[in-house]
Formats: sequence, structure tokens, C-alpha cells
Amino acid sequence: MKLFIVGIFVLDMKIDSGIKAGDEVEIHFVKEIYEGTLIESPESDKNIVLLKLGNGYNIGFPRKEILEIKLVEKARDAEEKVELKKSSGKPNIAMVITGGTIAARLNPKKGGVDWLDTPESLFKYYPGIFDKVNVLRLERPFMKASEDMDYKDWQKIAKVVSELLNDTNIQGVIITHGTDFLHYTSAALSFFLGKLNKPVVLTYSQRSIDRASSDANLNLVCAAVAATSEIAEVMLVGHANESDEFCYAMPGTKVRKLHTSRRDAFKVVNGKPFAKVTQDGIEIMSNFNRRNNSKVKVDNKFEEKVGLLKIYPGQEANVLDYYVKNGYKGLVLEMSGLGHAPTSRARHGWTKKLKEVQKKIVVCATSQCINGRVDPLVYSNGRELLETGIIYLEDMLSEAALVKLGWILGHSEWAKSKEVVKEKMLHNFAHEFNKMLEG
Amino acid sequence: MDKEDYTKLGFKQEKSKDFSAKNLDYKNLGFKAGLEIHQQLDTHKLFSRAPSILRSDEPNYLVRRKLHAVAGESGEVDEAALYQVSLDKEFVYEVHSGTTSLVELDEEPPYQINEEALKIALQIALLLNCEIQTLTQIMRKTVVDGSNTSGFQRTVLIARDGYIETSEGKVRIDTICLEEDSARKIFENEKEVRYRLDRLGIPLVEIATAPDLKSAAQVREAALKIGEILRSCKVKRGIGTIRQDVNVSISKGARIEIKGFQDPSMMITTVNKEIERQERLILGKMKVVSEVRRALPDGTSEFLRPMPGAARMYPETDLPLLKIHRDLINEAKKTLPKLKVEIEEDLRREGLNEEMIKLLFKRNQVKEFGELMKIYPNANFVAKVLLVLPTEIAVRENLNEFDVEKKFGKEVISDVLEKVREGKLEESDVRNVFEKIVSGESLEDALKI
Repeated sequence: MKLFIVGIFVLDMKIDSGIKAGDEVEIHFVKEIYEGTLIESPESDKNIVLLKLGNGYNIGFPRKEILEIKLVEKARDAEEKVELKKSSGKPNIAMVITGGTIAARLNPKKGGVDWLDTPESLFKYYPGIFDKVNVLRLERPFMKASEDMDYKDWQKIAKVVSELLNDTNIQGVIITHGTDFLHYTSAALSFFLGKLNKPVVLTYSQRSIDRASSDANLNLVCAAVAATSEIAEVMLVGHANESDEFCYAMPGTKVRKLHTSRRDAFKVVNGKPFAKVTQDGIEIMSNFNRRNNSKVKVDNKFEEKVGLLKIYPGQEANVLDYYVKNGYKGLVLEMSGLGHAPTSRARHGWTKKLKEVQKKIVVCATSQCINGRVDPLVYSNGRELLETGIIYLEDMLSEAALVKLGWILGHSEWAKSKEVVKEKMLHNFAHEFNKMLEG
Repeated sequence: MDKEDYTKLGFKQEKSKDFSAKNLDYKNLGFKAGLEIHQQLDTHKLFSRAPSILRSDEPNYLVRRKLHAVAGESGEVDEAALYQVSLDKEFVYEVHSGTTSLVELDEEPPYQINEEALKIALQIALLLNCEIQTLTQIMRKTVVDGSNTSGFQRTVLIARDGYIETSEGKVRIDTICLEEDSARKIFENEKEVRYRLDRLGIPLVEIATAPDLKSAAQVREAALKIGEILRSCKVKRGIGTIRQDVNVSISKGARIEIKGFQDPSMMITTVNKEIERQERLILGKMKVVSEVRRALPDGTSEFLRPMPGAARMYPETDLPLLKIHRDLINEAKKTLPKLKVEIEEDLRREGLNEEMIKLLFKRNQVKEFGELMKIYPNANFVAKVLLVLPTEIAVRENLNEFDVEKKFGKEVISDVLEKVREGKLEESDVRNVFEKIVSGESLEDALKI
């Protein structure tokens, strides 16, 4: 309605042809003229014209109040030449860039986001890592926010990484990634890549690179240290605490994002980091697979029809019908406490329905407590649920369990038999189980 | 160029000469000056819900950080930024639980702008005759000396094109910005700089005048005038809550920013000494380098850092465009505080003499006075009870004035005035009641006359 009225009364704004964000312009109003740099209008409101004033501040005007925008001077494209420092004394690594905050840079002149996806642009913003290593190869299979990724992206990354790992000139691989679903990717790579010959390090940034306080600097330098270490594992390297002092190298299947915004968002759950990493060295904290000369073979089969469902009080069991009806092959239930769902004693019991659906789909159990192991034998409620056939996944993280279930069911030769699926789900492929939980 | 360089050149700081205004011909010198005033507002923090409380107790823990050089938006690296990063120090932040949030630690995105602070800033803008910028963008101003954990200061332009009147003519106000205060530096050595996070994020209003000031005396007058307008609004009081910088230049010289005036009364001497310093450099065929200097108590100044470059602002991408709604502006107008001169006029009309008016402002008890007047509307009597009586008793009884005044809080005086209004107490009995309270009787007993 409002737009319609505006449409009738608004004067047509005159704008010199070819004006683009970044150009010096004059904005003419009835009473006054403003001069400054034209900035890209916000995505959410194209009816606003943004102008950067000479003092650096951006201010805005409703488009309808502007009479005319005149060009003063075209923006100069300052193509900068950056020279990469390469030296034979430094170890060679490869980088795989997939998107996320760590690879995004705001272009304040225009307003949009530029990707840092060349060695030169990386060097400009993260010179520290280039003091440690030569980035011999750089791959960008795609550029995405991690929340937009799915298993096909994990498969692509695994493929690219395996090729890099089998390149004898490369000592290790660093993957930069958005943080939201990073721990799903780290779990997927842990299963897809199997026994490794060299380090595969995932890292991230919680504070964007355009701020001097960005956490990416330490994360990348420590990632370089980890990537040239003896630890031939899939690991996530990131801040250990709120300070810029050191990072942890954390097992890909045992790590979880536990904070929305802190630098040390990722923590190891039910286990220990492989190592404490500083920019000067590495301090081992738990057992790992050593660097070796084997070849890596990707096994990235995946069954997409797997789900993850969180149990809540009073929830009705017929939610399970959805999964059966839609052709799901497996489901991870994130259960209460030691591994419980409403039983036959509850107003909406699950026991009967669970028995019924497991004729068609595999059901596994993890705990929504996040920390600790599931154990269905402690209470009679647990024993009642166990009898329905649920596979209890010990101390495995729900996210790792989902990825693992998809991977296991992706193998048709295993998926045929519930017994084999159960055996595989309980087999420790990539540190997803910890046999001895410590206080 | 720093202090030592000048000494080497034989321009040792002279402390004996007094540069009084009459010796200087500002017009011929091509003198130009502008003011930049920063005033803390009396609210919680600007982009978090942490209270604006300064702590003097031991911190609960420390956080250690590094900052990295960031290329400016057009590719060039800011000179001031370069200077700081070249120091490559570690920054240590003191964290006090209860008053430090994740926002101050640069561990959480900023919250929406503090609406109360915005309203106060709008009132200041209106009192300075400015145009409100209703559509504006919160910016990040690069700061890499560690005083901001994020590496930038959040700031937003909220008004433009105002003015104040002075005896030497109109002084234009270019911009009014609302921004975050920085962290307090606690100490510094070769390896690290330690900051306390309590001050970081306290709302600051920044007022920048045009370079319209034509003499050192006008600099001081304008600073006092703006200060008075600020104090009529809900701002913090006391040392460190207002900071005044002066930008000075003369023909053939360069723009110099002098920071850290403790007292506007020093402005005339300091500005004049800066003119003298620039003249000496020009005479000695030296280039005057644009820089930031710190005002010293003796009226001289010393090198602080190079002048920050212009290309150090980019948008705060964690927050949407700031739209200042008409409702908020109307609300700010409706509750616009009175200026000191207006209050003085009101007090005069109520029959208060000049001495009492002065005392009321000096003791910062205008608000209490107004509230007590509602109970018993006899201005001179209320002023006497509030301002004079406790002191008089203290002096006569040879007691500590401060201790005596403490016994007469607003509640006690309200109760006494209530009784006078109800006719249960004569005005002349009040002294007697006060004396009894001072001697230790409870209010209840003292009122039994």
C-alpha cells in the first residue's frame, strides 16, 4: 500500500549513467548537496542510498528524497601486487578453502563481501602462516557458509584432500571452513579418509579478518604447525581459551561447537586434544597415528536418508512415522540422560512405536547431555528401550553419530544386515569412541 | 618528532615565559582552532548490557591478546595503525566478573544500541542546534593500540550542522557522534600493555566544532559553554568523564591535536604555547609535523603519536542500519533538560538569592532542591535547610562537616519539611530538631517538640 503511494508522488531520481558503488558522487536534495563515496545499498533495503562522507562516516538517505546523483570521479581500482614469500627452507603444505568467515572479507568501499581465495589474498591478510610454511597448492572446491553444506560437500572435500595427501611434495593439508557445521565436516573427513599418512587440519575464524583482533591469525599459524607435525589425523585446530596464546588440536570425531561466538567455541567432548599447539611448537596430550608413507584411499559413500532427532518431555512417538514414510534408512535419537525416551509408563510412550519402526530403519542412541556415555542398563526404563533393538552408541557425539550412520549405511554390503550395521556402528574407526572416560 | 628531538635542536621547553593573549595577533598568525569534546553518558554500556562501573578491586582473571595490522579499505595501511602495530606488544586485559561481558572481551557480537544513551545524545544534539541524521550507519574506527579489544571503536554519526554562540561570534558544530569509550590503561612495559575493561564501551558523545575558533580565549569560552550544555543532560560527572581536545593550526604551521586538558582554564596558556612552538619551528626552518600532543600541567605539551589518517572507518557489519525514529526524537524533545542559565532564571523567579543559587550548583543539589520545594514551597527556607543549616551546626559544634551532612539525607529533610507544612513544626523549630539529630537522637524523637 505504502509503496503504491510512493509510486505516485515520488519524483524520478536522476542518476548519471554508469555510476557504481565506490564512485565519488554528489547527492542533490531540494535544499542541499552532499559529497562522498557511494556505498552499496543494504541487501535488505534497496530504497536506501548510502554515502561515505569525507570524515569516514556512512550515512543514508531514502531514495525518494534524492533529486539527482552526479558523478564526481570514478573509483580507482587499486589492484595491488602482493609478492608471495617462498623459500626452500620451509615445509610445503596445501590449503583447501571452502568459505566461511575465515575466507570472507568485507569490501567497505562497495559494501559487499570478497572471498580470500588466492594465495596472494591470503598472504595479504594472514602473513603469519607464510612465515611457517610454503603454500604449495591451494584448492577451492566451492565457497560456502558451512550451514549451507551437506554430505556432497564433505565428499568433494575428501576427494580433494586425498589427492593432496598423496602428493609427495606436500607435508600436510589445512582446510579453512565456516564454524557452524565444522564439526560435522571434521567427523565426515575422519570416516571418509580412513587411516592417514599426513596431518589434515581444519581451522576457522570466529572474528572476521577485517578486525585487528581476528582469531584467524593464531588459528592459522597453529594450523600450519599442526599440519607439519607428526600427527597424521583429521583434527580441528583452534583457540584453547579466550587468549591469543595457544590452540588445541582436537580429534575430528570428538569435537563440538559449544559456544555461539567465543574464540574457543570448539571443545573436545569425552576425550582429550591430540596436542597443545603454539606458534613455536607442539605438546602432545594423547595417542595419535604417526606420519607415514602409505597412500590414502577415500571411502566417501554416504546414505543421505539419515536423521537426528532430539527427544523432549511429552513428545509423541508418531513423529517416527515421518521418517519411515519418507524413506529414511537410519535415525539417531538424542535421548535424555543415560539414554532414555518416554517409556510405556509415560502418557505418550515410545516403546511400542520404537519396536515397530526398527523393522524398517536403524535406530541409534546418543545422549543430549553431550558429556558422558549412554548406558541403558542402569534403569528399568533403559532396559525396556534397549529391548526394542536400539543401538546405544556409548560416548559418541550425536553429530559424529549422524555422520557415521550415513557413512555406514552408504555401504550397501553393510546396510543389508542389521547385525553388520550394529557391529560397524560400534567399531572404533576414527577415535569416535573413548574406552576410558576421565574426570 | 618527539620531545627529545626538540631538545637536541636547542628548543628546550621553556617554562618561564608566560604567553598571554594580548601578545598574540591571532588574525595575522592565521590562527584556526576547533574543539573535540568527549563526554561519558550516565547509562549502561553502549553495545552491551554491562553496567558502566569503574572497578578498583582485583580482577578475576586476565585475557592476553595480540592485534594485527589490517590494511585500510582502499588498500593503504593507516600511518597511525602502522605505528602502533610496529610496537608488537601483547595486550593484557583485566576482567572483573559482574561488570565485564563477552562484548567487552570481543567474544560476542554487539547488542542493539543502548536506546537511553541514544536519547541523551539526541538531547545534546538538539541543545547544540544540530540536525539529526535519521538514517545512519554504525561504523568501526580502527584503533590498534589495544585500548579496544576488537581493534576498533564503534561510532555513529547522529547529528550535523549545529552551532553555539560565543562573545566572539557563532561557532559551528560539525558533527555529533555517539561512540564507545576505550579501555583504561593500567600499565605498560616493553613487552605488554595492561588495560582494564571497565571503561570500554561506556557511551561517549563526541562533539566536533568547525575550525571557527579565532582566539585562545574563544577556545576556552566555547569549551565551557559546551561543557555547561552537557552537564544539563544525563552525563557522568567527575574526573575523566569529560575529555577535551583542541585542534590548532597557524599559517605555515600544521594541524596539531592537543589532548588531555584536565581543566579548560589551562586552554589559553596551552594554546598560546603551541602557537609559540610552531612559530619557533617555522623560524628555525623546520617543518611542523601534524601530530597528536598531550597537554601537560605547566601549559606545554609533548608528542603523543602521529596524526591518525582518514581511511580508518568501515561499517559495523554485526548491526543493521540505525534508523532514528521520529518517536524517539519527539521523546528526546519532550524531556529536554533545562540549561543552567534557564534553571538559574527559574530559581531567581522562585525568590532565591544569587549566593544560594551558586551554592546549589556547586553542591550539585538542584534536583533535590526541586523535589523539596514540592513539599514546602518556600525557596529561601528550603535552601537554608538543605545547604546552610547542617554546615552551621557542624562549625558551631566543632564537628566534621561531612559527617554532619551525611545525617541529613533527602529523606530526613523531606520528613522535617513535611511536618512544617502540616503545621506540626514551626520554621524556627527546625534548627532545634537538626541539633538534636546531630547529638544522636533519632528523627522520630527529635521531631517530638
